[in-house]
Amino acid sequence: MKIVVCIKQVPATNDAKIDPKTKRIVRKGIKAILNPFDTYAVEEGVQLRDKFRGEVIALSMGPQKAEESLREAISVGVDRAILLSDRAFGGSDTWATSYALAKAIEKIGDVDLVICGKQAIDGDTAQVGPGIAAHLDWLQATYVMAVEEISSSSIRVKRMHEDGYDICEMSLPAVITVVKDINIPRVPSLKGRLASRKCEIPVWKPDDIGADTSKIGLDGSPTRVVKIQPPPPRHTSTKKIEGSSTECAQSLLRELRLRSII
Amino acid sequence: MIHHIRNKIYHVEVLPPKQDSEKLEKDLEIFSNKYLRVMDSGYCACITDNAMGLLSFQGTEMIEELDLPVIPEQVMIHLNTFHTKDDLDNILDICKSKGIRHLLIITGDGSERLPKLQPSDVGATDVESVTSVELLKYINREYPDTFVLGVAFNPYEPEEHEFEKMERKMKAGATFIITQPLIERNEIVERLLEKYPEIPVIVEAWMSRKLHLLSEAVGYEIPENTEFDPISTLKMLHKLYPECGIYLSLLGFKTQYDLIKDIWV
Repeated sequence: MKIVVCIKQVPATNDAKIDPKTKRIVRKGIKAILNPFDTYAVEEGVQLRDKFRGEVIALSMGPQKAEESLREAISVGVDRAILLSDRAFGGSDTWATSYALAKAIEKIGDVDLVICGKQAIDGDTAQVGPGIAAHLDWLQATYVMAVEEISSSSIRVKRMHEDGYDICEMSLPAVITVVKDINIPRVPSLKGRLASRKCEIPVWKPDDIGADTSKIGLDGSPTRVVKIQPPPPRHTSTKKIEGSSTECAQSLLRELRLRSII
Repeated sequence: MIHHIRNKIYHVEVLPPKQDSEKLEKDLEIFSNKYLRVMDSGYCACITDNAMGLLSFQGTEMIEELDLPVIPEQVMIHLNTFHTKDDLDNILDICKSKGIRHLLIITGDGSERLPKLQPSDVGATDVESVTSVELLKYINREYPDTFVLGVAFNPYEPEEHEFEKMERKMKAGATFIITQPLIERNEIVERLLEKYPEIPVIVEAWMSRKLHLLSEAVGYEIPENTEFDPISTLKMLHKLYPECGIYLSLLGFKTQYDLIKDIWV
């Protein structure tokens, strides 16, 4: 089985600023991390590879620095990684990004399954995974909380939604996006981290994947950001819980459950 | 553990590099140098386990990958409850195979990125979450007569609650105790010594000049500009608690290491 996991490097902080002119995130000077939701996608890919053998490949699009996130994926068990990086990709919206990733997946060839995190924490669109499926004309399942069964020709997954879950069965190849309930991502080992620093990560440019340059970058992006404004500040409040220690503990437990904290 | 105290063997905390280190090779070299220096001094290197919930490499993998020598009496591995079952067993198996006997079992701070042991992982049926008590029971059951297991004591927690927890830790098989950092005489630690006269107790000496970093541990605000002399405090702890061992946290290897060798004589 050949699995591609699409990952993204994102700013590590919630304090990321928006450039008022370009209306894009200012990434300079901000620590970058692997998108937290993508760590679940990577873990799922590695677990499926371990179970069914084959290969798991991490794929990312971004500046050269995004290579760090690919190395992180390798450090937890991904077999190899590919970076799409070129000025021509710059400014791509989710449609252009998913087009480029789909072209790369075509070039990799014989891919059975593409796994993405449910969304990236910087854009929060949740569009790239479904966009890849649309460009490839493959079946897709979003918000996957469990892979129940997989064979060489089909996959059965559990999809989370507000009222419970759906069981979906799809023929392969397919795209899934996963939520954090699906697994517990492993922490990189020192051995894995050291190995990941040595491996070579090929950088593919638009020509390498046969991409139509009119469909990537700013020109290939139908999205136009007209206006950006910060959300209204959150109002916080304090609630005092009184009573015996048992009553307080029960009240606290109820409050936390009502807020879905536990 | 009692012979560590009789033979005046300091317990020296050695922090492994963080997972997100941007200068990993350099940090590994620093770790290696510190570890070897502790070995050469005849002290005990105590390697932390994701201290403060910050993701770091494991002590056992550091020793394996860097091919560091293990002198069984001179290595202590901290082990908390934030691991997968596979990782836990792997750490314990490596300790066993390397001859590492001393483990400090703590519940740990955890973080979003760290998996937490589940009660079923350690065969605990009567609890909702795994603490050091369940971990102690598991290790004693699965690795009988293999390890010397220690636990932490926090004199800054509500006293009766802490003593009740300590009783459960003792029943679960703990055979030595390490306290939270002490910066002055502590009556609760004295009560601990009275209650467990047969158990070796090691008091932690805070070796950083930045005393305010202890605010959270001690439960009250220590102003940032508070003057603090770690070496004088260390000498004071030796006088106050001559029957105890000493755990040196955040010891300055460049500025303090050579100063400590003549203190515990």
